[in-house]
Amino acid sequence: MARVLVVDDEPNIVLSIEFLMEQAGFEVVTADDGEQALAMVNDSQPDLLLLDISLPGISGFDVLERLRGEEATAHLPIIMLTAHGRDVEREKGLALGADDYITKPFSTQALVEKVQALLSEEQP
Amino acid sequence: MTQRGLPKRQRLIGLWLLLSGISLLGGAIFAAWLDAQFAPTGVTRIALWLGSFSGGATIFLVGLLLERMLFTPLRHLQVQLARLVANPDARDEHPPEGWLKGLGPDLCRVRDSWRTDRSLLATAHAEGARSAARIRQELETLLQVLETPLLLCDHHRRLMLFNQAAEDFFDGNNGLGLGKRLEALLPVASLQQVLDQLPDDGSPRELLAPCDDRWLKIILRRVPGSDRETLLTFSDATASWSSEMGVRAELADMLTPLRQHTASLTSAADALIQLRNQNDASTSSLRQRFERVIQEECTTLGDNVAKIGQLLDDLQHQGERLTPMWSNDFWQALDERLDPAHRLITPVGMPAWFKGDAPALIALFDSLVKHLSAHLPDSGFEGELCLGNKRVYLDLIWRGKAIPEHELAEWRQQPLTSLPLNPSVADVLRQHASDIWSLADDDSVHARLRLPLPAIERVGAPRETAPPRPEFHDFGIADLPPPDEALASRALRSLEVVAFDTETTGLELRRGDTVISLGACRVVNARLLASEVFDQKVDPQRPIPPASTAIHGLTDADVAGAPPLDIVLTRFRDYVGDAVLLAHNAAFDLLAISHKGVAFDIPVIDTLLLSRALDEALDGHDLDSLAQRYDLAFPPGTRHTALGDARVTAELWLALLPRLEARGVDTLEQLLALQANAFDRQDASAV
Repeated sequence: MARVLVVDDEPNIVLSIEFLMEQAGFEVVTADDGEQALAMVNDSQPDLLLLDISLPGISGFDVLERLRGEEATAHLPIIMLTAHGRDVEREKGLALGADDYITKPFSTQALVEKVQALLSEEQP
Repeated sequence: MTQRGLPKRQRLIGLWLLLSGISLLGGAIFAAWLDAQFAPTGVTRIALWLGSFSGGATIFLVGLLLERMLFTPLRHLQVQLARLVANPDARDEHPPEGWLKGLGPDLCRVRDSWRTDRSLLATAHAEGARSAARIRQELETLLQVLETPLLLCDHHRRLMLFNQAAEDFFDGNNGLGLGKRLEALLPVASLQQVLDQLPDDGSPRELLAPCDDRWLKIILRRVPGSDRETLLTFSDATASWSSEMGVRAELADMLTPLRQHTASLTSAADALIQLRNQNDASTSSLRQRFERVIQEECTTLGDNVAKIGQLLDDLQHQGERLTPMWSNDFWQALDERLDPAHRLITPVGMPAWFKGDAPALIALFDSLVKHLSAHLPDSGFEGELCLGNKRVYLDLIWRGKAIPEHELAEWRQQPLTSLPLNPSVADVLRQHASDIWSLADDDSVHARLRLPLPAIERVGAPRETAPPRPEFHDFGIADLPPPDEALASRALRSLEVVAFDTETTGLELRRGDTVISLGACRVVNARLLASEVFDQKVDPQRPIPPASTAIHGLTDADVAGAPPLDIVLTRFRDYVGDAVLLAHNAAFDLLAISHKGVAFDIPVIDTLLLSRALDEALDGHDLDSLAQRYDLAFPPGTRHTALGDARVTAELWLALLPRLEARGVDTLEQLLALQANAFDRQDASAV
């Protein structure tokens, strides 16, 4: 069972995404700030990250940059899931190495499909 | 030796008396010697003595004759000619006399011809200038009523014109003045660049520039067909720019939480839908949590929508078209539009400021009043501005009943055809984030129609418009030489001159006497500007002696609270700018203003020295004598006031100009040489 790490400081949305991902057959772990996210990547070895940008402490962009800078996580699938919807922010997320950039509000069905598609690409 | 005029009168008289005395004395000695040698008697002896004295007596009598018949008439002729040169209408106090009497008719003819020529010239000039004057008058009127601040500058960026609105707009900025450089008013590098790159076809360029804590929106355009003259118009973009940017930024910031909470809401809703398919007891607590999430997010989203609504309201209130208005002006404008012949609306209550789009509101009220008039007896209306909390209410009051809401609903849909794009009443109300309703008054006699509008923080009635300045343009400035051309070679007429004068606590400037009043006025293009003046009292920080008060009339009470000399001198230096200084007996005034550390390292013209240089043989070069000689009048009470004396000094300079030019003194360099020469001679005679 693939493991998805949901990083968001908004508990309401974490609750829903956690449930919906579990319904779709994924194991879900959560983190509510950047530091915790980095620790969880090491501890839980997730297969995919759903990463918000506005986080307490270090930002989602910062987390993304650090993960891409390490060899072990350089190719870890990361989807930015954020309320920052300006073109320039989307461009920045993709430039920093995100595999996809989804702006809130989003279709949960589309989110699940994107996660599944990314994970199937990763598997040989 | 340098060129000299007539020898001084005293020197001539001295020489004559000396020669006469020596001759008489020599004659007496000679007669005594002959008398001793030949011992003549009787008639011979008398003849011998008379013969010996005859030389001295002849010299004395001839001198006396020359003085009476030639030298005195010559001096009078000189004074008369000096007056005539300055002014052909000058008093004819000294008609030619003595041996010059024959010149009388010729002199009269010259003066009459000059008067006639001048009168003919004046008529021709008046004829030729009449149409130009009419156009100028229309232009001046237009410029002075124009509410847009505007400036016109020549290709050297010197101000040739500004209107009343510009003067109000740049109130307190010393850089505004005819002939002054634009850089002094607006020291902004980008402005210079835009000016350099302005297209000649008159198409405008916009610039946002900072100036004295404000952001100015400047529109610049080259005047087509001119000698690269530029028209600049200004508006203060600070308020609209910052408020608009502020609201925009807040709106942009609102988007992120809106996305956030919408995402939470839709995700929770999706989750709840999925849970519905798994309807068992184990999921009931999870369902309750999702329902709570939906409830929370709905509340938060509702709050966010309310905030966005508030921001949109603010945006409309702060929009550029909503401008401050004085309620009485509004009622008057509305009344004139409704029926120019009759008064329909009587303003009542306390007038106040409010903010609105004036043309749209007038069209709206025009429509409303016409609807109301159809329902109501022809008794006219009262207009009242009521103050509410953060809002004001524009109320139209009439005797009768309130208008029912369903009727007002119909009125709201009426198009306002006099406005562009024919908006409806509702559109204009929306523009003002407002609505209308009708209420019956407590007295049960009156009813009113109420329109709420944003109030603005202003106190007091609008300022009375200041009387327009006598001078706000001088197109001749464009003909002046470039400002960076060497000052020395500048033609005297093209010099910008600041005439100044000081009143002091006494004459002992080196022993502590100091300035109590400093006055100055400006001459541009050989024209004395009536209102470009500097007039400032100075706190001398010491008592004013009564003997000094007796001269200038200033007492300690008059200068109490005035700024000290160093502050006044700094302001005065700003006022002087690039001009040349002018004073009568400049040495004294320069010493008076050299007390503090403000440098006046600019050329100084002294009318006292110039007058001496021009009329060395004449006595009386003090300001009063010269004012009398050149027919210059001190307005009552202005003699021995700094500004009054400065003005007369400036007029004296203008009277001396033609005489200087007649002597070939055309440039500042030549003038300063002549002045230095006069100073040397004065110095030498003092020694």
